[in-house]
Amino acid sequence: MMNEHRMQILQMLSAGQITAEEAERLIAALENGRASGGSDESTEPTRKARPKYLRVLVEAQEHDHGDGPTKVNVRVPMQLLRAGVKLTSLIPAQARDQVNVALRKQGVQFDLNQIKPENLEEIIDQIGDLTVDVDDKHAKVRVFCE
Amino acid sequence: MIPFFAFVSFRNRRNRSFRLWIPLFLVWLLLLPVAILLLPLFFVLCAAEKVNAFQARAIFWQILTGLKGTHVEVAEGQASVLIHTF
Repeated sequence: MMNEHRMQILQMLSAGQITAEEAERLIAALENGRASGGSDESTEPTRKARPKYLRVLVEAQEHDHGDGPTKVNVRVPMQLLRAGVKLTSLIPAQARDQVNVALRKQGVQFDLNQIKPENLEEIIDQIGDLTVDVDDKHAKVRVFCE
Repeated sequence: MIPFFAFVSFRNRRNRSFRLWIPLFLVWLLLLPVAILLLPLFFVLCAAEKVNAFQARAIFWQILTGLKGTHVEVAEGQASVLIHTF
């Protein structure tokens, strides 16, 4: 795992995405991390701090009618997201079949029965790495986890 | 933990503002007897729909506890709405 990270750093250096100094600092940080706690792959995910909130920040430019810019700031606890996706497990089997039939009619080949709690947990965990940054002349949108 | 307080703030385009602190813990205390009374009906409905009642109860509790820390703020010009739970 460490070699993989080191290779990524060297590839970024060769592509000119980072300078030699930055590459050296990154490699030193990797080695410090290995020295302090070991580089056991099974412990790496647990050492990474789990994000607690999903943030959505939107700033839209002023409208023509001069109301001023529109700003949206939403912070949703990740626990709420986890609990919300678990609601799918409460859908009765009969309702799930009906939803599957309706989805197939629309051309969506998706089976709700395949959704399992462990898959949803993994999705929520991966959302922690999600970052969306849109910068347009009309609006700025940022979605990230903290 | 379930949220104990909520802060709600409104401001309209005429710059009239309205702020309210809601002691949610009192709301939960008031709703507790109602929830206890409705519990048998809840179990009956879950049995009728073939849903695990205990799992459903756990999920609803998780949703309730997950509300703590929710922050929603929308502002458009002079008007704004803010809801925050503690």
